[in-house]
Amino acid sequence: MATTIDPRRQDDLRPPAPRTRRRRGIVRVRWYTYLVLALAAAACIFPVYWMFVVSSVGSEAATQLPPRVVPGGNFLDLLRLVFETVPFVRSLINSFIVAALIAVGQAFLCSLAGFAFAKMTFRGRDALFLVLVLTMTVPAQLAVIPQYMIMSQLGWVDTLQALVVPGLVSAFGIFWMRQHISATISDELLQAARMDGANSWQIFARIAFPVVRPAAAVLGLLGFVNAWNDFLWPFIVLKSPDMYTAQIAIKALQSNISVDLGLAMAGSFLVTIPLLVMFAFFGKQMVSGIMDGAFKG
Amino acid sequence: MQNKLSAPQSATSRVLSTSLSRRRALALSALAGGTALTASACSSGGSSGSSDPNTFEFWSFTGINQKDSVEEYKKLAPDVTVKLTEVGNAQETAQGLTTALAGGKVPDLVLIQAGDLPKFMKNPGNFVDLTTLGADDIQDDYVDWVMAQATAKSGEIIGIPTDVGGMGVAYRTDLMAAAGLPTNRDEVSALWPTWQDFIATGQRYTQATGNAFIDNAATTVFLQAVSQGEEQYYSADGDVVYDTNPIVRESFDLGLAAIAAGITAKLESFTDGWNAGMAKGAFAAVAAPSWMLGSIRSAAPDTEGKWDIAVIPGGSGNWGGSYLAIPARAANPQAAWKYITTMQSPEQQLQHFIDAGSLPTTPVNYDKPELVDHTDPFFGGAPTGKIFTQAVLGLEPFVNGEYNTEISTELLNALNGVEGDGAPADAAWDTATKNIKTAIGA
Amino acid sequence: MSATLTPGTLRGVKPATATRPVEKRWERLAPYGYVAPFYVLFLVFGLFPLLFTFYVALFDWNPIGDKTFVGLENFRLLAEDPRFWNALRNTFSIWIISTVPQLIIALILAQVLNSAFLRFANFFRMAMLLPYITSVAATAIVFAQIFNRDYGLLNWFLELLGFEHIDFMSSAAGSHVLISVMVIWRWFGYNTLLYLASLQAVPRDLYEAAAVDGAGPVKQFFHITLPSLRPVIVFTVIMSTIGGLQIFTEPLLLSNGTLTCGTARQCQTLSLFLFEQGFGSFKFGYGSAVGVALFAIIVVVAFVNFLLSSRLGRKG
Repeated sequence: MATTIDPRRQDDLRPPAPRTRRRRGIVRVRWYTYLVLALAAAACIFPVYWMFVVSSVGSEAATQLPPRVVPGGNFLDLLRLVFETVPFVRSLINSFIVAALIAVGQAFLCSLAGFAFAKMTFRGRDALFLVLVLTMTVPAQLAVIPQYMIMSQLGWVDTLQALVVPGLVSAFGIFWMRQHISATISDELLQAARMDGANSWQIFARIAFPVVRPAAAVLGLLGFVNAWNDFLWPFIVLKSPDMYTAQIAIKALQSNISVDLGLAMAGSFLVTIPLLVMFAFFGKQMVSGIMDGAFKG
Repeated sequence: MQNKLSAPQSATSRVLSTSLSRRRALALSALAGGTALTASACSSGGSSGSSDPNTFEFWSFTGINQKDSVEEYKKLAPDVTVKLTEVGNAQETAQGLTTALAGGKVPDLVLIQAGDLPKFMKNPGNFVDLTTLGADDIQDDYVDWVMAQATAKSGEIIGIPTDVGGMGVAYRTDLMAAAGLPTNRDEVSALWPTWQDFIATGQRYTQATGNAFIDNAATTVFLQAVSQGEEQYYSADGDVVYDTNPIVRESFDLGLAAIAAGITAKLESFTDGWNAGMAKGAFAAVAAPSWMLGSIRSAAPDTEGKWDIAVIPGGSGNWGGSYLAIPARAANPQAAWKYITTMQSPEQQLQHFIDAGSLPTTPVNYDKPELVDHTDPFFGGAPTGKIFTQAVLGLEPFVNGEYNTEISTELLNALNGVEGDGAPADAAWDTATKNIKTAIGA
Repeated sequence: MSATLTPGTLRGVKPATATRPVEKRWERLAPYGYVAPFYVLFLVFGLFPLLFTFYVALFDWNPIGDKTFVGLENFRLLAEDPRFWNALRNTFSIWIISTVPQLIIALILAQVLNSAFLRFANFFRMAMLLPYITSVAATAIVFAQIFNRDYGLLNWFLELLGFEHIDFMSSAAGSHVLISVMVIWRWFGYNTLLYLASLQAVPRDLYEAAAVDGAGPVKQFFHITLPSLRPVIVFTVIMSTIGGLQIFTEPLLLSNGTLTCGTARQCQTLSLFLFEQGFGSFKFGYGSAVGVALFAIIVVVAFVNFLLSSRLGRKG
């Protein structure tokens, strides 16, 4: 599981360094390379686009043959119907609260723990880390029944903290931040700070965290996306519609027999919009963040 | 736990109050505060949180249009706020209710479909015994056998029946005419005194048009036929008899016969395809108990006036119907009970029938001219009151049991499997009974 | 959790020699405080529920009624329950149909994306991450429409080409393909980026030297690319195994409000079966027995993974 650290690597992953480019200049990019990539990109984009088409026309778009592929002008009307059918504004607010708290919690707590694992020595560190890695391999959902019982004992069923608290810190995030911190912060720097009498908290807060903040931000973004899109646990633990997150509201739209597919699609698209906006602004950082956290051969 | 708890909430309110206008921030932090309240509530589970005696929470399911009733109630009791939510379909609502009873926030009032009721009747302590609120005074207003299903062995009354699903067949007059079949409801009813005749009529239609006659065999044939039995999946003593009761097997075979006759559109009830098929005329007839009329109306609004309603083969029967119940931990049982007594009074049930079409559970209405002479323009002016009342009059009480839903789900699944997925018809009954044994034995 | 970050540790910077004993003790404890949130939450919401699953599985446990101790009866029933074996089969089938093509597609695309002088590289990378940010619920609704028997886009296209409509939901194979397509769509781009990152770390000189030695692209792929990607491939296989055992939302949303995913449970996964027993029929004990079985399966799979990856590791 160990990784080799590329010494040139900074926090953001830049395009291949000019040095390599120059050397590989002889190789031309073939047209079929673009064809393959264009097909893959189209496959990725089309379903989201199709979601928008049906949302903007209504269920006719989904049931008329040949299908319609140009968006219509009914999106806002359908949205109004969506808001009338389920408490969607409330759901979006709920989702936002949950995802934002989890994002902040993960960015901070995972950085802190990652820092301890990367740069501090303490008894039991390696054993603790092994436990952490092992927890990643056991899917939490096999224990959903007792998890529900615990939430019910705590009186947390139908509350947002049932989603937030267990998600505030993740094994994956700690693992990820540990790698970033080992890779980007030199031991000499920390040694120097320690010589000046800084304690570990000061070192973390004033030296380590500012350096890895971009990586922590990407982790927060990923945490936001995952929390926003989470389904099973909210589906179990949130029972009254006022507490629904947006994903559960979509499910309610879909199972509502008196409404049509156009509504379900409009709801789905609406729920995707905030992430699309976020992606438009931070997509590049997310891409490089994921690639940066990856295993290097 | 307390430490950890306080952190997210204070963060929430901070985030909210810095980024929003004061008024909205107040509203939102009230929301977040509501969460906090429930969190600190004791371990026996929170209540619905509203202590306001004039507000109560009401869970219903989709497709039954409780919105109309709630709107009506607002006119009668303007100072009361009803927070109505449609949790999902009937089964999902029952599951949501069970989860809530097991330790979540419960509503003050909940609508339960008749088929799901026995599961809850097994543990009546989860609900308010309505006799303590005065149900014994009004129980004689309702049809005996319908009331009996909501009365526990030890005498507690758990629910008040809102409607019964008197059966009928909704059919498209334009499509029947195109197939050279009669369109007048009496002539159409005369086409199918028995289910065999119904299937034969379907064959005539399909031969003439090449199209399917009914949506699917599982609900439109099997479920209707079995629901006409005096004994269904449980005997009068409460024993499981689905596998020995001849009515169940005969109904199942009728379903298979309809599939073999090729008259079904392979559209499972309440799916997207079913909705779309209804709107596009993919089938000419569908089993329609009184509460189904609303579903047809909303699935195919453009077909107004093209429908009519005939008598169900066999003449009578009941499918579905629902009950209003009050969970034991409800915060505001009094307000919920007031809603029940107001909206389910014979007068209001009659009014609701006129507005929405579901058949009252109060026999005093069954010969009122407003009901008997009522016609529905969407369904070609059919006298829906008369047709559906005839279907439920004279029905005997039948016993529903704890595993009603499981048994019926497996039987329906087996038929849908033959119809839609090409599963072998001769093995279907064995598959179904085997699956039921596994499902209710575990 | 904030208890360990006491005010004492927040004092100003002082010379090392002036550190008081109290602070030293805090310094020794500090790292435990930093990692504690994870372990506390894991104990409460991870480990304890896991152990409790084993306990609940010994009962006939109705959350709104009684609970009775039944010993190992739930496991005996489970072993004889065809629905369980069916769900197990479905889970593995969907896992294989979704994982293998997904990783192969990702490998090819990563190789292609690694071309130097590629234009629009950022656009392609971002496009491939788009499915990842789309929720499973939304994905399921869209794909259910595209693959719909009567009005689906795909079937319309097949009809245009003169083929019969395919009813994906009617058979086990069809429904597994449908679910796998959703899983592949969601994850292939993410895996492509992981592979690409690893590929970029492979020194170009290796390829150039191979090219000089006369090795074609295929030979380069098998002799340089694949060996250098071995760790990340092992990682993605493990991750997709864990993901594959948890597939839930797709079959749920294809179920039309039931929890069986098809009339003959043709696409009911283990997770959905667990949910059906626990929160559909409210048999907490039996549902927990399914959870225990799932845990046993994970242990076996993890062991196989471990054997495979350590063998691969030795070879590499």
